[in-house]
Amino acid sequence: MSSVGLIARDEWRALLRNRAGLLASGLLVLLVLVASFTSLERRVAIEADRERYQASVDEQFDQQPDRHPHRMVHYGQFVFRPIAPLAFFDTGVDSYTGNTIFLEGHRQNSANFAEARQSSLLMRFGQLTPAFVLQTLAPLLLIFLGFASISRERERGTLRLMAAQGVAARQVMQGKLLAHGVIALVIGLPAFLVLGGFAATGAASWAAVLPMIGGYAAWLLLWAVLGVILSAVLRRSRDVLAVLIGLWMVGVILLPRALPVAAEARTQLDTNIETEIALHREVAEIGDSHDPDDPYFNDFRQRVLDEYGVESVEDLPVQYAGLVSIEGERLTTGIYADAAERSRAREDAQNALVHDFSLISPLIAIRQLSMTLAGSDLAAHYDFLQQTEAFRYDFVQRLNRMQAELIPGIGGEDPRISAEYWQDIPRFHYQAPSPFDRPSDLIWPAAVLLGWLAALSVLAVWASRRLERNLR
Amino acid sequence: MAQGTAEPAIELAGVQHSYGTAPVLRGLDLSVQRGEIYALLGGNGAGKSTTLSALLGFIAPSSGSVRVCGIDPVSDPRGARAQMAYVPENVSLYDHLTARENIAYFLALAGHDTGASVIEPALGAVGLDSQAWDRRMSGFSKGMRQKVAIALALARDVPVLLLDEPTSGLDPRAVLEFNGLLDTARERQVAVLMVTHDLVSAVDIADRIGFLTAGRIEEEQQAGEGARFDLNALHDRYAGTGQAI
Ligand SMILES: Nc1ncnc2c1ncn2[C@@H]1O[C@H](COP(=O)(O)OP(=O)(O)OP(=O)(O)O)[C@@H](O)[C@H]1O
Ligand SMILES: [Mg+2]
Repeated sequence: MSSVGLIARDEWRALLRNRAGLLASGLLVLLVLVASFTSLERRVAIEADRERYQASVDEQFDQQPDRHPHRMVHYGQFVFRPIAPLAFFDTGVDSYTGNTIFLEGHRQNSANFAEARQSSLLMRFGQLTPAFVLQTLAPLLLIFLGFASISRERERGTLRLMAAQGVAARQVMQGKLLAHGVIALVIGLPAFLVLGGFAATGAASWAAVLPMIGGYAAWLLLWAVLGVILSAVLRRSRDVLAVLIGLWMVGVILLPRALPVAAEARTQLDTNIETEIALHREVAEIGDSHDPDDPYFNDFRQRVLDEYGVESVEDLPVQYAGLVSIEGERLTTGIYADAAERSRAREDAQNALVHDFSLISPLIAIRQLSMTLAGSDLAAHYDFLQQTEAFRYDFVQRLNRMQAELIPGIGGEDPRISAEYWQDIPRFHYQAPSPFDRPSDLIWPAAVLLGWLAALSVLAVWASRRLERNLR
Repeated sequence: MAQGTAEPAIELAGVQHSYGTAPVLRGLDLSVQRGEIYALLGGNGAGKSTTLSALLGFIAPSSGSVRVCGIDPVSDPRGARAQMAYVPENVSLYDHLTARENIAYFLALAGHDTGASVIEPALGAVGLDSQAWDRRMSGFSKGMRQKVAIALALARDVPVLLLDEPTSGLDPRAVLEFNGLLDTARERQVAVLMVTHDLVSAVDIADRIGFLTAGRIEEEQQAGEGARFDLNALHDRYAGTGQAI
């Protein structure tokens, strides 16, 4: 066997004979499995609830009696966003953004019932996901297993003894990198198997699962390689440990939390209340359809009368109030859409800033990659909001048209249309977006992770040269 | 005392080396023939271990020449190291391995045969209790560890032995046994460079004794017939060296 192979094999033998290391590794594997299991359970439970609620909400909607269509506009519809299949692995922003939305006329409501807001302490324990274990805890284990890989040899004099047998420092480096690279992959293996199992049963696509496995493999390798390099460069094991823990605290704990805050400070997002106030003002400025002297709606009335070639609204074949509702909805929706667009642009700017910083903290890269592939990223949330808004507009305008077209034929003090019409109103069908719709959300993080690995490889070459010179 | 071929197995000529600005070796001249045992004495920090590092190619001297069996260890460290076995000062070996596994591992790294027929005679020769051969070294005493390191060097079966304080930690009987091993090595035409503070052992076994002071060999004594060395004179000389440093 080559020296590299021998060194790697001895490193594994040392780990297998180290009870503390084995115990810690076993616990991590257990944690990944428990996280997968509980996360999956929770997903199944939420999905079951969602289906039940959706069914009962739909049924209630269908069972509405004969009514004036405008009453139905305000009765609205509840829609629930189904959870993406891989979201059990990485809940992403799902825990904050909410997955139900109430659709009604005149306004866009935000999604509600984010788990993080409603959950009890118990539920928050339930937030333990495989992604969290791999992103946050696995690096710690890899640090613990790898920090002394070379520095211990130096401290015990075995590095010199190896060199005296004709082993080059480069071979020591390669052997340790091989050993800890494999250890990193073995630690990721249970999670990879869970993902693979999901793909194999058809619950998720291989197209999403394979890059996910690749991304996490790169992330874990990165820590293994970093540990070995520092162990070669620094003289004392405890210094290596201190530096690695420091890097972990900054890169994994601090930066990913501090950066969004910094980004927020740079591009201030309006709070919901501010948005509401500003929007009310804008909507008020359009005009008041009930005010006979309002310039905008006077114009509108004239256009309608011209179009139908009649003299007064009473002569219209349709209900004028219905037409006003349609026009009002068109205008307010435009304003809301603009506001949503602006807010989204600001949020995108913030995210772009955070993306840039993933160069320093590859955790941001793996998080983005993982969430995107899991279908639990911000883009998927926005896509849901866009789909619901398109649906809402169509739903409200349908009812407004019913009002305009059907009410004149009914007349009376309390005009109602048949409940049968409610059944014809389409229901919301969510089209889950493909993670590959926004390739930049995948390519950029993948490039960052691979870039880090490439940079560390260069560093490893430098470190092994340095080690060769510093054998004494 | 058997003298080997004309070309010395170990040769340092005019070797200078500094760690940073502090000079350690200042024009060191030293040579050891095949079949010769050379005891290198000197006070703490005199540069004895540094001399061995130069031979192993761990350091590159700023001037002078170093040759091991005619090979320059700086330009061809692998070639030079293939000729040498080395017992470092304070080596611990691996606690997670048994004595046998430790030796097998390092022999394998050297590309050497690792069969029981190589390892067992070496472990037997250093006098390590055979019950300890397959025990993890975490429970070993200092002397037991030292024996395993020596066994490894013997098992390499190479023309040059570099020993850095090999008898430290050995009990008197083990020292006697160790000297017996060196006798055998001499018969097999091995060149031995042994750094030691153990004057008695050096007087017993060495063919030549050199005093390293101020970065060069200040004095060298050849073993004579009969009494070989004058221990008392050497002791005074050695203690004097210690004070000088
Ligand atoms: N890596 C190093 N960096 C800086 N100085 C060093 C280094 N190694 C040794 N020295 C210095 O070089 C000098 C010689 O050290 P060396 O280890 O060769 O001494 P020695 O003769 O083997 O001593 P001892 O009998 O205590 O083993 C000492 O002053 C020591 O402090
Ligand atoms: Mg020394």
